[in-house]
Amino acid sequence: MIRTLLRVLGHEYARPVRRTVALMTAAAVAEGLSYALLVPLLRALFGSTPEDAWPWLAAFGAAVAGCAVLRFVSDLSGFRAGTSLLRGMYHRLGDHLARLPIGWFRGGRLGEVSVLASQGVLQAMGVIAHLLAPFVSALVTPLTVLAVLLAFNWQLGLAALAAAPLVAAVQVWTARSMAATDAERHRRDHEATGRVVEYLQAQPVLRAGGHGGERFRLLDDSLRNMRDASRRSTLAALPGSLGLTLVVQAMFSVLLVVGAYLALDGSVGAAEVLAILVLAARCADPLLSLAGIGGRLRAARQELGRLDAVLSTRPLPEPAEPAQPASHGLEFESVSFRHGDRRVLDGLSLSVPQGGRLAVVGPSGAGKSTLLQLVARFYDVEAGAVRMGGVDVRAMRTEDLMARIAIVFQDVYLFDGTIEENVRIGRPGADEAAVRAAASAARLDEVVERLPGGWAAQVGEGGARLSGGERQRVSIARALLKDAPVVLLDEVTSALDPVNEAAVHEGIERLMAGRTVVMVAHRMRTVQRADRVAFLDGGRIVEQGGHDELLRRGGRYAGFWEIAAGMGTGVGVGVASGEG
Amino acid sequence: MTTIDTASDPDTAATTGGPPAVGGSSGGKEPPPTVRDLLRPHLPAFASVVVLQIIGAVAGLAPLLAVVELGRTLLAPGAVDHRHVWFVVAAGVAGLLVRLVFTAASSGIGHLVDGHVQLAFRRLLAERLGRVPIGWFARRRSGELAKVVGDDVSAVHPFIAHAPGDLVAAFVVPLVSLAYLFTVDWRLTLITLAPVVLAVAQVPLMMTPARQREQLEFDSAMGRIADSVVEFVQGIAVVKAYGGSERAHRRFLSAADAFVGTFNRWVHGMSRPAAGMQLALSPPFVLLVVLTGGTLLITGGGLAPADLLPFLLLGLGLTAPVAALGHGFDDLQAAGRAVGRIREVLAVPPLPEPDRPTAPNGHRVELRGVRFGYEDEREGHEGRRHEVLRGIDLTLEPGTVTAVVGPSGSGKSTLVKLLPRFFDPTQGAVLLGGVDLRELGSRELYRTVSFVFQEVTLLRATVAENIALAVPQADRAGHDAVVRAARTAGIHERILELPRGYDSVIGEDAGLSGGEAQRLAVARALLADTPVLVLDEATAFADPATEQAVRRALTSLGGDRTVLVIAHRLETVADADTVVFLADGAVAEQGAPAELLAMDGKFARFWRHRRAAGGAVEGAGAGAGERTTGPDAPRDPDPTTAPRGGETR
Repeated sequence: MIRTLLRVLGHEYARPVRRTVALMTAAAVAEGLSYALLVPLLRALFGSTPEDAWPWLAAFGAAVAGCAVLRFVSDLSGFRAGTSLLRGMYHRLGDHLARLPIGWFRGGRLGEVSVLASQGVLQAMGVIAHLLAPFVSALVTPLTVLAVLLAFNWQLGLAALAAAPLVAAVQVWTARSMAATDAERHRRDHEATGRVVEYLQAQPVLRAGGHGGERFRLLDDSLRNMRDASRRSTLAALPGSLGLTLVVQAMFSVLLVVGAYLALDGSVGAAEVLAILVLAARCADPLLSLAGIGGRLRAARQELGRLDAVLSTRPLPEPAEPAQPASHGLEFESVSFRHGDRRVLDGLSLSVPQGGRLAVVGPSGAGKSTLLQLVARFYDVEAGAVRMGGVDVRAMRTEDLMARIAIVFQDVYLFDGTIEENVRIGRPGADEAAVRAAASAARLDEVVERLPGGWAAQVGEGGARLSGGERQRVSIARALLKDAPVVLLDEVTSALDPVNEAAVHEGIERLMAGRTVVMVAHRMRTVQRADRVAFLDGGRIVEQGGHDELLRRGGRYAGFWEIAAGMGTGVGVGVASGEG
Repeated sequence: MTTIDTASDPDTAATTGGPPAVGGSSGGKEPPPTVRDLLRPHLPAFASVVVLQIIGAVAGLAPLLAVVELGRTLLAPGAVDHRHVWFVVAAGVAGLLVRLVFTAASSGIGHLVDGHVQLAFRRLLAERLGRVPIGWFARRRSGELAKVVGDDVSAVHPFIAHAPGDLVAAFVVPLVSLAYLFTVDWRLTLITLAPVVLAVAQVPLMMTPARQREQLEFDSAMGRIADSVVEFVQGIAVVKAYGGSERAHRRFLSAADAFVGTFNRWVHGMSRPAAGMQLALSPPFVLLVVLTGGTLLITGGGLAPADLLPFLLLGLGLTAPVAALGHGFDDLQAAGRAVGRIREVLAVPPLPEPDRPTAPNGHRVELRGVRFGYEDEREGHEGRRHEVLRGIDLTLEPGTVTAVVGPSGSGKSTLVKLLPRFFDPTQGAVLLGGVDLRELGSRELYRTVSFVFQEVTLLRATVAENIALAVPQADRAGHDAVVRAARTAGIHERILELPRGYDSVIGEDAGLSGGEAQRLAVARALLADTPVLVLDEATAFADPATEQAVRRALTSLGGDRTVLVIAHRLETVADADTVVFLADGAVAEQGAPAELLAMDGKFARFWRHRRAAGGAVEGAGAGAGERTTGPDAPRDPDPTTAPRGGETR
């Protein structure tokens, strides 16, 4: 546990953690030792001269004071270590997330990472602050008391000692058997959450099918699975906690019996037997609390495991001797790539000369967006290479690579802040004039004029206060301001109203001027801006050439547009007659 | 619980006190169960948990009392009665066994009941969420709601599984011990209580305004961390694309630092009273107090030495309630907050259902003076309504296609959502076959109206199940009908390519592209085969094949159907029987497409603008429409946890 903790944290935190554990152990040992004074104290009180108890009582008082000081110091040290670990953990996680490939953040990761970073870290760090001290003292104090028992009476000591390996065995066995059920339970919970989200999102269609009020089978099954998993884990935990209780109680019973026997026998004084039984009672309670602490430790350990998994995900490798490209043509050489089991790109080769414009066209799922993402190293290729100006993108430092690329995404994400701040992300040091120029080139200035607050208008979380077209304009202004030699465009598929559409196209035209461009295109109008077209299907280039050339060829590309064009023509006729 | 109780129950009051019911009231059926109703069947189980726990805990005192009795016997002058000693030892051991069996049984039953109660809670929540107006989801993240159904219900665990047994035991055992100790020696009992008093005295120090302020700061700093990490992760692509992970990263780290700072202050403020409390309750300290008192009394001759034993053994147990309160307090508070959130969801008024559903006569659709406004949830605007539709009168005749056209923000998407009752109008009424939608049962409504909206939700279920989803269970179509619908929607071939054909589980065996998912949704609507069809002609069809499928589907429908479509493509508009031009929430122009063009008004201008922007060449590609934004449907910043509302947008 501690080892995982230290691995997750990095070893610079090893010292404070070790120090804290040492202090906690010392406090627990001191507590156990202080109980040793009870034996002579009680012997005196139960004997004929109770006045002899005073010096022992004074000694016990001093010992208790010592214990309290040690405990306070160790708690304080625990909190200090806990908070500095907390801070370290957040920084480590933040730095690491920033270095992971963008491709890693797909699918359900967002929710997972959010929960991990907010609650998971706290829970895992709570181990040091809250769980470690009770755990150490529940374990070490009884062990010390055991040593004291052995010192005073070997028979009783041995009887108690027999319980120690049993307690250890029960603990280990419980931890093992619970690991599987805990994992199963986590999986079931996760699955049920997925089903609930699905159920909520699919409400319209579910209601249409009459699944509204009544039980929806898929959801209900997963809720029942969740209940069953929780029942199984309860039942699985029962033998462990029962076993521990049984062992501890058996130990006490044995001491009671042996103590009674020795006292009746006369071989040990009654006072001593009674004092030892009082000590044994002091042993039993902390040992019994081990079961509860164990459960909480297991939960924290799982959280720690998840943190560990994220932190041990390898970031994109950085080159030892970074290269700088001299020019900005792009080249894909036999590139293969897969998402999980699905092959997305399959030995694809392609090149775009510096200043060239390539349009990538193809059915959905053909791998068009992936092509762009590989240039920007959202992922690394599985085989082959992506080169910029002849240099493998993996041989460049990420910062150098990113400085040469401007991307306009399909879905624009804006940070909660002002419009100006969001544009400035493109080039943080840009002067006022450059920001204004980029904004007016992207026709963002019109938007700014309309908004209350102008440049200082808040865009809301994710840009929620702007419309889709307005967000696009911000992202184009951002890209213009960046003024990078390579432009990657993932065509805006979310449609815009005519005014916004015209503005966005105008901005994009300016953005492309004089740069190397790769654009994913869904519309013929966009394709016509390119000087070359690659038709992609099933992760391969099926056809390549100029737009008109490909149309004349009458192959897949022509067929692709024919569907649309045929419809368009049909409508054209309908409209003409309508107008006539 | 009496009837009066039920009526005053906040849950029941909240559900019946929904919006002014128009037409029918929500009364008709039995009122849905409340939190209390759910717990009632388990009362006997709770009672047995408590009784078993008390028996077990009190039996746990037996071994300690055995030591006491052993002491009395051994320390008594004169010969020791061996048989008595062995009887006492046997009684102690028996007590331990009883404790073991009874507490285990109690805890086992408690956890099993907990499982049942949690399942019942979750079912109730799902059932309620299945009846709230669909529009309600648009303003919530499904991730957050899922958290209520999942985590919040789990957080109730200590209430159900632990509180009854553990808390009761934590109070009963000390009370029994206390009573016993008083009979032994009242002076030493009072001395033994001193640590408890000391510990309780620390509580006000933990509740000072300063401490409470720190607690609030702590909570809000925690919230900021969550927000900044969401922003960080969501914007990661932007963060990286623009060189270095400057901004959001820094924001996350500074939120983390601020949190750690608050945490430090909080711990610092709490550490003294907490340490004081811990010391007062710690076993060595309690023993010291008891021994000091005991030595004083024994040396003074006021106490038999043997009578000190019960205090040494039972005295420590007196601190249990204080310690239990301290330990369980955080969990209980968290559970209380969770119950609050659960109640909030349960209190959402469901879409009212009529007492006696009326059957529609035909399927003409009429909108009469329909007004609708979304509640403004922006800061400082709470409670105000942002009116989107301002008095719409419209009749959709059977056998015709009506195309709704208009600039973005004109209220088109809201208008079409009134037909499947995602919302009820704030004023006016929507009539189907002469009957107000609110007087139509929802079953009847969905048998009559089907819809295809832009975003498609596919379930992690087989392809066939996904297509058949929109058909009521009772008239569930056979496999042939599913295949026929898939064929017409142009997705049949693709489905056959999947590893297990129609039995492939989406998301496990196969993933579908956006376009394919859209075609699947079209197949759903085709299979539902309802007389009224509402369509948001998706603006962003992923590929031409999908567009073609949709157009084919539209033409294959026809017949006597009433079709309402938000049209983005000129050809759809041209083919429609009636065009309704919506501007600023009102019908600006209405008529046949040619008629409106001849009028040369707003629609004609819009048309020309669109043609200029799209051009005749790219026809289908010119799908310029709107993505609903603004107060209409706040854009969801969280694409994974919350593309909520499914097809609502």
